[in-house]
Amino acid sequence: MIELVDLTKKFKQIYAVKNLSMFIERGEIVGLLGPNGAGKSTAISILSSLVEPSGGDVRFENKSILKHPAPFRKVVGMVPQNIALYSDLTAEENLLFFGRIYRLRGKELERKVDEVLEQIGLTDRRRDVVKKFSGGMQRRLNIGVAMLHDPELLIMDEPTVGIDPQSRNYILETVKRLNEERKMTVLYTSHYMEEVEFLCDRIYIMDKGNLIASGTKDEIKQILSSEKTISITMERLNEEFLDSLKENPLVNRVTIGEKEVTILVPRDINIFSEIIKLAESTGIELNSVDNKTPTLEDVFLHLTGRALRD
Amino acid sequence: MIWQIIKKQGLLFWRNPQQLLLLVALPIILIAILGAALGSDFENESSPIKMKVAFMENVGEQEQIDQFITDLHEKLPSKAVKEIESNIENMAPINSIKAVFESEEVSDFLEITYIEPSEKNKIVEDDSYSAIVEVPESFSYDVLDFMVLGNTEAPTLTVTYNEEQQVRTSIVSSFLTQFQEQLTKGAFLGKNGIDVSTINFQEIKGEVISINEKKPVSASAYYTIGMTVMNVLFLAGAIGYYAYHEKELNVFNRIIMANVSRWVYFSGVLASGTIFAFIQSLIIFTFSWLVYGIRFPNVIDFLVVTLSFSFAIGGLAVLLSALNYRLNSETITNFFMNIIATLLAVLGGSFYPIGDFSPLIQSLGNMTPNGAGLTAYITLLRGDGIAGIVDSVMYLLIFALMTVVVAALCFPKRGVSA
Repeated sequence: MIELVDLTKKFKQIYAVKNLSMFIERGEIVGLLGPNGAGKSTAISILSSLVEPSGGDVRFENKSILKHPAPFRKVVGMVPQNIALYSDLTAEENLLFFGRIYRLRGKELERKVDEVLEQIGLTDRRRDVVKKFSGGMQRRLNIGVAMLHDPELLIMDEPTVGIDPQSRNYILETVKRLNEERKMTVLYTSHYMEEVEFLCDRIYIMDKGNLIASGTKDEIKQILSSEKTISITMERLNEEFLDSLKENPLVNRVTIGEKEVTILVPRDINIFSEIIKLAESTGIELNSVDNKTPTLEDVFLHLTGRALRD
Repeated sequence: MIWQIIKKQGLLFWRNPQQLLLLVALPIILIAILGAALGSDFENESSPIKMKVAFMENVGEQEQIDQFITDLHEKLPSKAVKEIESNIENMAPINSIKAVFESEEVSDFLEITYIEPSEKNKIVEDDSYSAIVEVPESFSYDVLDFMVLGNTEAPTLTVTYNEEQQVRTSIVSSFLTQFQEQLTKGAFLGKNGIDVSTINFQEIKGEVISINEKKPVSASAYYTIGMTVMNVLFLAGAIGYYAYHEKELNVFNRIIMANVSRWVYFSGVLASGTIFAFIQSLIIFTFSWLVYGIRFPNVIDFLVVTLSFSFAIGGLAVLLSALNYRLNSETITNFFMNIIATLLAVLGGSFYPIGDFSPLIQSLGNMTPNGAGLTAYITLLRGDGIAGIVDSVMYLLIFALMTVVVAALCFPKRGVSA
């Protein structure tokens, strides 16, 4: 359906996006994962034909959308990272305005507004001004506006930033439902690993403007096939314990949390007894030692040496 | 589509009482405050400033004229005396001063009270008087003597000013000084064989609003127009702010993503600026009409000026919006709202007709949209028709077109993300 070919965007001497190539097939949910500043929003802006790239092309049905954006714009719905709404207007007024902008009129417009309000669960708040809404409700309406014209492709740029877990789940469920019931294609960017894991069929991981990994969830996790993640929790961290872990030749990487230390070790090594001995010798009171299933976070950590939310 | 953008802008104004207050209530409040500050002068259609002047003669003028004629017989041949006697009515200085004071034009702003010398102390105590003009005992005799024989120095009137009424006393002072100058010039020219009646002396002027035009413009009308054209400038800034926030929140991108041409959005901003400036002007002028009775002689001419002025404001609004987009900042609108609008207001004459100081300032003032608008409105109020406002209207339209062209050149080519 859509193909990004060698896309590059340079601001002065800095590459916001460098040689990015990716594709999206009809009906799938594709995740674009990366920390803040990875270049996700720039990539999305170019994909949406709002920003001209320094190099490369974006193709929709094999035609460049940079040269002919109109056919693509007809079938795409954009959910920006900001709440792109008029906060002094009501939910209904916002939907009516954007519906008319999308050239919907009369009964069709009224029907679509009702339908969208139903989908995003705001029917009973339709006449309230947006500024009185909670963050989660504003996010839902932000998505609703993008769905007014029944887009084939929904581009969602970090749609759950700064909202409560309940609203977040509602949004994730809504996206899943749209994909399943309407076969809507979704490009979903986030730096929340669990959202991408929950929603996406395929994932692209970006860091500092570069694409560093891509594939299905399982394919990406295979990157860690030679390693496993061990999580060690304790009452209080101890420098001597940490130093010993870092110096251990079997430990590939140590990540330190508040009361948790995560280590990457070769898959075929049993390191449990060694950890327990080390804890005893350094006076550490262990709470648990778990063998964790690798996550995308672990993959990102493995690839970049940094956590996604660093 | 443009209509949707205008409608949305109207809703946004309507939902923002603070903004409405600034755009509509503030100029009305300012006009009301000025009305209260200028008191009864404000509601008087004829003149912005009213002053009371007491006029005191120590000796009647006729007695002095009779004495002068009697004395003249001893100095000149009787034929010459007869000729002077036949013209003496026109030469009598006090009669001339009184005639000017009582003329329709001057009595509009100057109320003259004739007092007896015994009342002088009472009048000095009365703060409502701007000045007391005292005619010295032999004033008329000396003036005639000076004019006919050139024997004495030009006599002077004694004037006691009320220092608390500086503007008014300066008007009386300038009025009398000019009278004195005319008197002196008349005598000098007459003495040198020049017929005074063929010379056009400078007319007497008021200080705040000129009274030498076709029809005087009241302070209420002047300040209503001044406040209106000034405050409508802020509407351009307000629309610039809204447009910038549409960019900031990605609403503009959403509109572009809906396959709406950026020129439709651009035209929407221009049309919003024009229409809401028009509505804002109409509301303020309607208030002034209902409360102060300020009305334009010809509604069509008034609408032509208001539309032209509103179009210029629309151009300004779209220019500010385009600059905000181009610079990715609302600094330019802030600068306009806080500095430029005030400068334009001063230069355009909203606070004071500073154009009266010099033709250069007048020309500069007329190059501001508010100044051109103000000039056009004032011209209409003075009774001139459409012919009198062609220059101002043309300037407003050219200004609008120029701002639209510059805005179009600045406007972003695609969306404004990243």
